[in-house]
Amino acid sequence: MTGTIVALFVNTVEGSVVNTWVMGSIWIWPLMEILHFIGLSLLLGSILVIDLRLAGHLRNISIAAIHKLLPVVFIGFGLNFITGFLFLMGDPARYMANIGFWWKMCLVVLALLNALWFKMKISPLMANWSPHADTPPLAKVIGWLSLGLWFGVLLLGRLIPYIGTG
Amino acid sequence: MFEALETTAVALWVGESLWGYPIMLGLHVVGLAMVVGLFVMRDLRLIGMLDGISFKSLLSLSKLGWMGFLINVISGCFLFSSQATYFVTHTPFLLKITMIFLATVTAGFIQQRIRVGAEEWDSGGGSVGVVRNLAIVSIALWMGAIIAGRLIAYL
Repeated sequence: MTGTIVALFVNTVEGSVVNTWVMGSIWIWPLMEILHFIGLSLLLGSILVIDLRLAGHLRNISIAAIHKLLPVVFIGFGLNFITGFLFLMGDPARYMANIGFWWKMCLVVLALLNALWFKMKISPLMANWSPHADTPPLAKVIGWLSLGLWFGVLLLGRLIPYIGTG
Repeated sequence: MFEALETTAVALWVGESLWGYPIMLGLHVVGLAMVVGLFVMRDLRLIGMLDGISFKSLLSLSKLGWMGFLINVISGCFLFSSQATYFVTHTPFLLKITMIFLATVTAGFIQQRIRVGAEEWDSGGGSVGVVRNLAIVSIALWMGAIIAGRLIAYL
């Protein structure tokens, strides 16, 4: 069943307009890789600061910085969502067959759910926190989870070419 | 000299073992995200974006960035050892190293200015001045290093 859906997906994508465009020039793939690397630097760099502060570290950075850095997170994620989607469109068979890709996508979904948890349970309370104080236990849990998930995404992504294809 | 480096036990472990190369490549992307991510955020703040983050806290960000830089010097040496004779004459690689060198020198100057001026800037006095230009140069150099680094695999 899953095999049929994957085959249908690959057949639909291959030969489509986007697929043809991505594979149409030898420079599009490296250009997108460059953008993907710039995006990951912005995403992971800002996430690192946000999560460490959320976990109660880097206390000379104000709690307010967490919200101030969110635009950098969104730009990094947006850049990588777009370029990542184009990679998938360009070479669907390769990604569908790669276990590293599937694990990476699972971790992305978990990291986004964790971010939603932050938005609902932590973000509304932050205005009442003292700017340079320690953080509550739940904030620490969410911060460390986020850090683990995003760096897992980063490592899995980089190792896709080296992880088994079946 | 570079031939000898390539045949050391470390270089052979990186080049030929199952996990040597992927482990070093994994560390290298973690370090990349830290050094480029944090230094570029520092630069964006100096240019006038990310308003609300204190100039003083930029020194903490930079410290994390240098940690990433250290990770990449170490993992980079391992990666280099496995293909030393190739890299040492490869234009994109040499360009990348040059830009990283210039970017770290720039980072040194920028931090010097922050150390001296942060308190005044945070209290609303004085102007960031020439540091703004250094920050723009720094962003350009890091972007250049990423571009050259990626092109190593293609040119």
